[in-house]
Amino acid sequence: MNPLLVILRKELRVEFRSLQGIVSSAMLAFMILMSLRFSIVDSFLMQNSGLLWSSILITGLGLITHISTREVERGTIEIMKLSQISRYQLFLGRMLGYLGLLWILSTIVMIIHYILFENPFTDDFLLAYLVVLVGCIGIAAVGTLAANSATPMYGGWMLTSLFSIPILLFTVIEAAIRCTDSLITGSSDFGLAFMLLVLYNAVFVTGGAWLSEISE
Amino acid sequence: MIKLRSFFKSFGSKRVLRSLDMSIDSGEIVVLKGKNGSGKTTLLRAISTLDRADDYDSAEIDGYDILSYPEEVRSRIGYLSHNPPYYPELTGFENLQFWLRLNSLDFPDSKINELLAKVGLVMFSDDLAGNYSRGMIQRLGFAISISHSPTTLLLDEPFTGLDDEGSEIIKEHLMKMKEAGCSILLSSHDPVKFSDRTLTLDEGALS
Repeated sequence: MNPLLVILRKELRVEFRSLQGIVSSAMLAFMILMSLRFSIVDSFLMQNSGLLWSSILITGLGLITHISTREVERGTIEIMKLSQISRYQLFLGRMLGYLGLLWILSTIVMIIHYILFENPFTDDFLLAYLVVLVGCIGIAAVGTLAANSATPMYGGWMLTSLFSIPILLFTVIEAAIRCTDSLITGSSDFGLAFMLLVLYNAVFVTGGAWLSEISE
Repeated sequence: MIKLRSFFKSFGSKRVLRSLDMSIDSGEIVVLKGKNGSGKTTLLRAISTLDRADDYDSAEIDGYDILSYPEEVRSRIGYLSHNPPYYPELTGFENLQFWLRLNSLDFPDSKINELLAKVGLVMFSDDLAGNYSRGMIQRLGFAISISHSPTTLLLDEPFTGLDDEGSEIIKEHLMKMKEAGCSILLSSHDPVKFSDRTLTLDEGALS
């Protein structure tokens, strides 16, 4: 079996046996969307996909931080570091594991958003769901990169590394919001924004793999 | 075979290992002794490539430089930490299978159970590792460290938490691996009667 799939399978198995990350993240997403749903009355904001992305981003990064911290605290990251796989494979494997969990989480978030915000995407709901799945690739790549660089650090440096996530993710989130907003408003921006989103993802995935390889 | 010459490792401004020279031949069991904080674990971790050495004239496993050929080196090393990591949500069987598959060794289930039987865990192979005792975790960690047939074993206090039976099992395996030509470096606070040599680390230097 491919080592990347081995790590993905392990990540899913560990999560489904403990349900520590998905359940708490989904509950948090529900609370965020619920509080926004009943605190925002402006119809323009209600029709804005920024609310969807903010809940995916907050809960998704919380999930990645939880999993990567658990891996470091248990020392199990060393099992993977001692294996014969190269560092770029380790990066891609961990990223794939996080991505699998992010896709499950974002699916739950999409359903909650659909119900609470009365599906602002109307007929383009499946296209919006595709954008969310693609956007998660960038979130997983940046999250893995930050988790990798934070692992050998202590105290303030570790936090600095984690705080860099939103700065790096700005590009992905901006493109993702433009994509989903264009689906809501029906503007012609979608093609360009989606291309940008794919491009940013490619940069972060290849950049992350390359940085992991040269950092050994 | 392990060869180190002028091997240095620091943590910040604190120099933990100072110009170490060491050579362990194939089929040799060497015990590393020293007080707490003398650098035993640091040395084992640096050789295993888990931590990066600062500087050295030479650091080789079976002729492969540890920084230039880390993947080759890792394929030849079996490492047992003094607190073996494991996934408590996975069974003992799944923990071992994960490690093997990660190393592209797709063993049949019977072979994995055989490995667990070697350390006396086959009866508990389907139990979650989270329910294992300290000694059982140590046995599982040992099974993982020898499962890919390494040529070099680095064991950090391998007898910690083991009962007499567990210690005897590990000793038997170490003797078998020695006969097969494996180089074994293990740290221990207690005397190890079956070793060939003892090295003492004192404030980062061998004495």
